[in-house]
Amino acid sequence: MARDRGQGEDYSGPLKRLLLGVLLLCLLGIFLVWRIDSPRVERFRAQVVDRVVPSFDWAMAPVTGAVNILRDFQSYQRMYQQNQDLRRELQQMKAWKEAALQLEQENARLLDLNNVQLDPRLTFVTGVVMADSGSPFRQSVLINVGARDGIKDGWAAMDGLGLVGRISGVGRNTARVILLTDTSSRIPVTIQPSGQRALIIGDNSIAPVVDFVEAPDQVRPGDRVLTSGDGGVFPAGLLVGQLAEDPGGRIRVRISADYERLEFLRVLRSYENERLTDPGRLISPSSLPGSENPETAPNAAEAAEAENG
Amino acid sequence: MVDALLPRAWVMRALYLALCIALLFLHLLPLAHTPPKWAGPDLVMALTFAWAVRRPDYVPVLLVGLVALGLDLMLQRPPGLWAALMVIGTQTLRNRASALRDLTFAAEWASVASSMIVMTVANRVILAILMVDQAPLGLSLMQLMSTLIAYPAIAFLSHALFGVRKRAPGDLDPAGMRP
Repeated sequence: MARDRGQGEDYSGPLKRLLLGVLLLCLLGIFLVWRIDSPRVERFRAQVVDRVVPSFDWAMAPVTGAVNILRDFQSYQRMYQQNQDLRRELQQMKAWKEAALQLEQENARLLDLNNVQLDPRLTFVTGVVMADSGSPFRQSVLINVGARDGIKDGWAAMDGLGLVGRISGVGRNTARVILLTDTSSRIPVTIQPSGQRALIIGDNSIAPVVDFVEAPDQVRPGDRVLTSGDGGVFPAGLLVGQLAEDPGGRIRVRISADYERLEFLRVLRSYENERLTDPGRLISPSSLPGSENPETAPNAAEAAEAENG
Repeated sequence: MVDALLPRAWVMRALYLALCIALLFLHLLPLAHTPPKWAGPDLVMALTFAWAVRRPDYVPVLLVGLVALGLDLMLQRPPGLWAALMVIGTQTLRNRASALRDLTFAAEWASVASSMIVMTVANRVILAILMVDQAPLGLSLMQLMSTLIAYPAIAFLSHALFGVRKRAPGDLDPAGMRP
């Protein structure tokens, strides 16, 4: 047997061993470069994904569709029971709809009374989910809008109801959304009605942990969790979910967005607010109206139009 | 057979690449977005090792390294580290292949298992030293276990479907040369 092994070594030869060494050095080099200068390599990764995943797209959509049809087919077996459940829920929903309409009218009246201006710049781009992270350890999805559509890192992604995640990694045609459940996700939130500030921390489970609550005795399960906008991370007031307590007594958030079926995501365009650096200064626009020369005003109007259109 | 046009080794290398791309495709399908309770097997690793033990010439290290690096990039893993470990693991098994040829499947399984365990531990240790966020320990252990359990099936499929068999004594390659 020893002779066998010796022969194998002869056969592979010094050239192959050199190749092996160079290959290992290259791979470990890439890893070290990634550790040292992560943003650059991550940008490269986003470009690779941007190139590769759209070329799978023609096959991905039908296969995903077929699997989903099969899954739905299984649910036909319990159709009668589902139908009953839906009727009951519909009944409840009607009651809620009535309440919501009344509240909406009241809200409109109050907003009108207060003369509130909602931020007109908060618009969104909608994208379709193309692929998921492909690994059980990372929770992210890839959507089909990217730098071409003006998507930037750090913007918020929502489904119809609540926050889903945060853009991290933008290619030309694709962008990656790190979901709230990913272990690297940290989102500053406020808990209503007590107004406590906290951080929700993804831990690869369906309900992320709520941590760093200022006064934990003031929050209770069922409280609403909204983004706080601290640190300029997100616009404030996006719905995240409701508080819940797990059997171990930790506070977690039950996410409102429907993670079971993420199909369309809306990415909110958010623009940076003024940074308040020292408390005593006057807050002013970067160029004062008096010092502005007349040509810039039409330009600004045009730019605003282009943005809206 | 296509042997007349292309050497069989090149056909099998292309098949290996195609299988890896198909597995990547299955991984990327957007079917489940909720965090899983369990981690499925790393089929690419099982496939690579099953082939490396049987026919080392079908999985050259360069191909394994490039495929693993591509998977690292696509699956959001730290790029390069797992690829380097895959190359080391494959090379170890290739060196042992001639010894394993005469032994039973249990010996081969044990040998593959030891490589996989060492690779998983090394991966976690290196990531911990460099203070990189890593997956929960339970999930990686589960992935390791399920890969080990899936290994015999993969080995059987490669044997039965793709004809990746150990060389028998006296086998000749198409050119009529002794391998």
